[in-house]
Amino acid sequence: MATNTATEKTMPDQSAKKMEASFLIDTTKCIGCRGCQVACKQWNGNQTDPTKASPTFTNPLKLNSKTYTNIAFFEREQNGAVSWDFARNGCFHCKKPACVSVCPVEALVKTPEGPVIYREGRCMGCRYCILACPFNVPKYEWEKLAPKVQKCTFCYDRLLAGMLPSCAKSCPTGTIHFSDSIEKNLAEAKKRIAEHPGMYVNHIYGEKEAGGTSVMLLSALPLDQLGHLKVRDQVLPDLTWKYIGGIPAIIGVVLAAGIGSWVITRRNQNMDKEGDE
Amino acid sequence: MTNHWIDLKNADVVLVMGGNPAENHPISMKWIMKAREKGGKLIVVDPRFTRTAAKADLYAPLRSGTDIAFLGGMIKYILDKNLYFKEYVANYTNAAYLVNPDFRMPGQLNGVFSGYDGKARKYDKKTWSFQMDDKGLPKKDMTLKDPNCVFQLLRKHYSRYTLDMVSDITGTPKEKLVEVYKLFGSTGKANRVGTECYAMGWTQHTVGTQNIRAMSIIQLLLGNIGMAGGGINALRGESNVQGSTDHGLLFHILPGYVPVPSAALPDLKAYNEKFTPKTKDPKSVNWWGNRPKYITSYLKAIYGTSATKDNDFGYAWLPKIDEGMNASWLMLFDQMFKGKFEGFFAWGQNPACSGANANKTRKALAKLKWMVNVNLFENETGSFWKGPGINPKDIQTEVFMLPCASSVEKEGSITNSGRWAQWRYAAIPPIGQSKPDTEIIHELYKRVKKLYQTKGGKFPAPITNLTWNYKSKGREIDTHLIAREINGYYLEDIFDAKDATKQLGKKGELCTNFVTLQADGRTSSGNWIYGGSYTHKEGKIINMMARRGKADPTGLGLFPEWSFSWPVNRRIIYNRAAVDQQGRPWDPKRAIIKWNPDKLDPKTKKTAPGWEGDVPDGPAPPMADEKAGKYPFIMRADGMGSIFGPGLADGPFPEHYEALECPIQENLLSKTKINPAIKLFHDGKTGAPEDIYYSCDTRYPYVATTYRMTEHWQTGIMTRNIPWLLEMVPQQYVEISKELAAEKKIVNGERLKVSSARGELTAVAFVTGRFKPFKIGGSTVHQVGMPWCFGWFTPKDGGESANLLTSTIGDANTMIPETKAFMVNVEKV
Amino acid sequence: MSTERHEIKMFTPMTIVLLLVIIAGAVSVYKRMTLGLGAATNLADDFPWGLWIGFDVLGGVAMAAGGFVIASAVYLLNMKKYKPIARPAILTAFLGYLLAATAIFLDIGHPFRIWHPAVMWQINSIMFIVAIHVILYTTVLGIEASPMFFERIGLKGVQKFVEKVMMPIALFGTLLSTLHQSSLGAVYLIVPDKLHPLWYSQTLPFSFLVSAIMMGLSMVSFESILSAKFFKHPVKMDILSGLARGSLIATGFYFLLKIFLLVTGPGIAAALDGSMEARMYLLEMVVGVIVPLIMLAIPAIRSSMNSILFVNFLVICGIVINRLNVSVFGMLRHAKERGFSYSPSVNEVMVTLFMIALGIFLFKFAVKFFNVLSCEDA
Repeated sequence: MATNTATEKTMPDQSAKKMEASFLIDTTKCIGCRGCQVACKQWNGNQTDPTKASPTFTNPLKLNSKTYTNIAFFEREQNGAVSWDFARNGCFHCKKPACVSVCPVEALVKTPEGPVIYREGRCMGCRYCILACPFNVPKYEWEKLAPKVQKCTFCYDRLLAGMLPSCAKSCPTGTIHFSDSIEKNLAEAKKRIAEHPGMYVNHIYGEKEAGGTSVMLLSALPLDQLGHLKVRDQVLPDLTWKYIGGIPAIIGVVLAAGIGSWVITRRNQNMDKEGDE
Repeated sequence: MTNHWIDLKNADVVLVMGGNPAENHPISMKWIMKAREKGGKLIVVDPRFTRTAAKADLYAPLRSGTDIAFLGGMIKYILDKNLYFKEYVANYTNAAYLVNPDFRMPGQLNGVFSGYDGKARKYDKKTWSFQMDDKGLPKKDMTLKDPNCVFQLLRKHYSRYTLDMVSDITGTPKEKLVEVYKLFGSTGKANRVGTECYAMGWTQHTVGTQNIRAMSIIQLLLGNIGMAGGGINALRGESNVQGSTDHGLLFHILPGYVPVPSAALPDLKAYNEKFTPKTKDPKSVNWWGNRPKYITSYLKAIYGTSATKDNDFGYAWLPKIDEGMNASWLMLFDQMFKGKFEGFFAWGQNPACSGANANKTRKALAKLKWMVNVNLFENETGSFWKGPGINPKDIQTEVFMLPCASSVEKEGSITNSGRWAQWRYAAIPPIGQSKPDTEIIHELYKRVKKLYQTKGGKFPAPITNLTWNYKSKGREIDTHLIAREINGYYLEDIFDAKDATKQLGKKGELCTNFVTLQADGRTSSGNWIYGGSYTHKEGKIINMMARRGKADPTGLGLFPEWSFSWPVNRRIIYNRAAVDQQGRPWDPKRAIIKWNPDKLDPKTKKTAPGWEGDVPDGPAPPMADEKAGKYPFIMRADGMGSIFGPGLADGPFPEHYEALECPIQENLLSKTKINPAIKLFHDGKTGAPEDIYYSCDTRYPYVATTYRMTEHWQTGIMTRNIPWLLEMVPQQYVEISKELAAEKKIVNGERLKVSSARGELTAVAFVTGRFKPFKIGGSTVHQVGMPWCFGWFTPKDGGESANLLTSTIGDANTMIPETKAFMVNVEKV
Repeated sequence: MSTERHEIKMFTPMTIVLLLVIIAGAVSVYKRMTLGLGAATNLADDFPWGLWIGFDVLGGVAMAAGGFVIASAVYLLNMKKYKPIARPAILTAFLGYLLAATAIFLDIGHPFRIWHPAVMWQINSIMFIVAIHVILYTTVLGIEASPMFFERIGLKGVQKFVEKVMMPIALFGTLLSTLHQSSLGAVYLIVPDKLHPLWYSQTLPFSFLVSAIMMGLSMVSFESILSAKFFKHPVKMDILSGLARGSLIATGFYFLLKIFLLVTGPGIAAALDGSMEARMYLLEMVVGVIVPLIMLAIPAIRSSMNSILFVNFLVICGIVINRLNVSVFGMLRHAKERGFSYSPSVNEVMVTLFMIALGIFLFKFAVKFFNVLSCEDA
């Protein structure tokens, strides 16, 4: 099993039957150092936007086309005791991604290894992926004349080269735990919850959300308190598939009705003509 | 660090006080979190709820500058509740020693120890001594009951540190104090270990050294020194600051913590007499008794064949300081400010932002004729002449910029906080015209030497006699040759003094370790503690620092085959204190070393009793062995851990004093408000206006502290120039409590003016629940805090250095500036 | 068959206003093409689709529904009565689709890759289906409108040939339109948690189709009446009454559908909670459905040209509001939760006005140069 503690040479395991890249992000371990945020920018060569001092410390405040992942800081006070939680934002790499399903030109694809990646040469910029993503992940280069959709690639290039994704590589506390199997990470998540019942809410975010994702989150607080959306368990592309699946029927009905009336029309026309003559 | 980074995972309780590892040493949190996963507890004591506190099992706030009160209360609690580790305290520390009956303590003398001279602000330490028996050994009471024994004096001294008193001083709620004391005190058992992590939050106070002393006493009381998962660990703030201290960066030490000679010591003999401690106790190893070997080997390393027995090995060429002279940071810049320097190399530093009272520092720079700024980037120091409020026309200082290579552009060793010297390789050649520091120094050396040779000079010998044999393979400077010189060579064949047939070293080879170094000039070593770091093994030259073996035989994370840990690859120092007198580990599950009487010699297959595990603090058998047994603390002359520490300038026991600038009229504990042994640059009446300070002054009503954070490093020169980091924290900010914000109608995110007696700056208000007002002596005291990573040079609207506000005052022992506690005002702009 | 064209004055004050709007809009178009979407629009990651998609594309396509409604009535159902309005209806639809395509061209990040879906098929994507339909149906509309062109340039033979094969073409057009109108609704099926429940339902495609038919009928009637008024081209009242009857049926059905969706969906209370969404929903329903339904139910109104014009106007507004509700107002809440609020930029508004003005101008241009309004053959 490829994990953060494994050496890079042995991971990810490409010789094994099939790699299914997965993160288990345990926010209880996150110290908010933002090494992942910087490592991501460094690996992807991403630029920055001018920012202002942010009293919450979250900066940039949201993901953007230059920021595929960031750490959001949440300060809370309860009964006079303050708490400070850190949660990582980024692409969840859904098993059945809405973004991939809505893209008209296959600019976004779900790779066999798990990462959802973007092929910029195909994209015409309709931004349906941005609208459709239940996690609001894909971002657009609004300021550019030839804009690209930008999002976390799961460091697909690194994975193929047998290296850990840059965020996981940089994470000092093992918050971002990589595995080459979603199942293994799910088992690990369940184990952690079982072993430390008081430490986590009994919910693995991403196990069922949007029909299941490659990136899963554990946390001490419900994740909607850590800036993550409540996302239904449904596989979202199923919603449009119902319609698309119905198209042949629509075609049949319209054609039948059309041809029917056309036939009747022609007969009537002929009868009219005959009558005229 | 007595221990090392990975060892943090072995702790049952990690106390973080005076540091902020999650933000400033993020990798350390990997190990702290591992300790927590195994059920360990993390305690954070800090004025501010930090990112480390966010991960803590227990957080307690305290007002900046009151750590000794907090820790004194813990000592009292440990003693009162009998939580200390009796066997350890009685046998491994000086707790049983009887102290001079004339010794008096602050409780008896209005806050000072006996021997204080108020005019000189100095102690005569005559009474801070032990009673000696006729053999010249300290008198002891092993029952620890004698009223003059260290243990009883300790109890007496800290009996004043009651919960009420401590809470009144620190502002920490009493129940929090008890929680912390109880949890950390739980590690006084043999099978429980606690560690402490500190950084500048403890050192940068007028009582900095005593802060650490107080914790050392606690760790000795609880038997945590020498243990895996224990110790007292300075988290170093730069990747190689441990290395730079090891190699003699500070003014008062030569490489290997060998004292810098003073003018009062005319020859090597006088030097050795003064600095070689002696003991009459056969059970004490007294390792510093070897000092003559180290100074001679050092002189041989730097002066080579010029250093002979006849010329005292070139001792006369070593620079000397005046007796009692202090040449530390504050003093240097004070002298510069007074116009006593012509030139200045600002090498890899940014004093215009990093030094306390930066306005004074900047004025001092203007007094220079020339300055050489050696840095990766242009900075506030090199550009001081065009800084805010300065007319370049008024500045006569000529500034030269020498761009130097970054750490990834050069090869060499880096020594981390855990004393691991790790070899690194150059990833890329230096960019543009930049050069590695060694090459810059080399060029400088060549030219200075040539000047001395051609034009002569007052005292050319120290330069002209220097060895400089670093050329190899077409390279002017080969770092490997420097590393070998540091390790040292056998200049002659060396034989065992007791057994002349046993050869210890072969002429021309690298020294095996410092044990074989000689005081007669037959060996050289640039830094004795690095002996064995680059060595000959079976005829081959091995760079021990470049090793990357991943074996972990003890399972405690020692990784003995990874890099080289000084001394002699020992991973935890004082590890002989981790076993009982028979050599059995206190905690078998954390057996850092253990004595195996049945150990087999792998070569001879015969029983050869010995130690197993880490490299022990000396191979001698356990302390109980009547003939050869030794005490555990081998670096102490008496072999004991010092609960009573007469070596310091400001008292053998830590005592709470207020910071130079503090919010209260009087020290609640005594009539002595500030550390009586600190040097005052301004006595309140006379002194440079730049050195002014105001205590308990309504104009500056809020306690302030400075700190670093994850996103920026030091003055920010390396991080403010990296957009990825700047994007996260782009501007100077000041963190203030919601309560203070409400009182002053401050809105989160608005610009504030922060001012002290010495300067002012603007900062963005971060209104947060992570700072809370303190109840001090019945009244409310607010504290604010800000990072010191910004400066006017870049970015454009980033803001100024927080050091414009800090004061010119240092610790009584080290003179490290007190930048962690001072007084400010905050106002809406 | 009359081939005379109407003598229409090209530069009326109205046309000059239109031209000014077009010129001003062209500046905005230039801005978008040279500075990019970020500079020209108020769109952002939290609100990727705005006025252009809502009005120009969704509204525009709905307004173009008259084309397939009349084409199927005339060519498939053989309702010859409506033949006189077939040409304007098809022309309107053709222009509508051209303009919607232009809006898409401007709205997508890479305008010159607008052809990509035609080559890079991804049949799971509603957007692909929409794109293919836009391409095919615009072509079909072009063919349907081509007799006017061939007639104008004197290629009678070609004209006759096209008119001969009009029925299968119309059938294909009807099929494409049905799919296209409904698939525009299907676009929003993937955002069940972003689109406000007052509009989100699994029947969005069907709602879009029904409302498009309503819109088509009203649009055809509307422009016939306006043409009658502005181009002095008389329109037969029984055509208008017939269209109004059709409208009544479609609107009645749509009303029942919407009420059914409301009751089985978020509940009536959701429409009355006073929120922005509830008010927009009521506006859409009252303007586009309830008032027209009541009015159309009155026979006297169905036989009054001015009343029909008014009802048509209401329906058009109502359905446009519906499209804006689905694409803009219904999506605002989700954006707001993420701290973003959208309102169109001046450029976006100008481009939309540009589209409307251009549409009217081109229609007028066509009426002047082609035989649009007086085709009364057979």
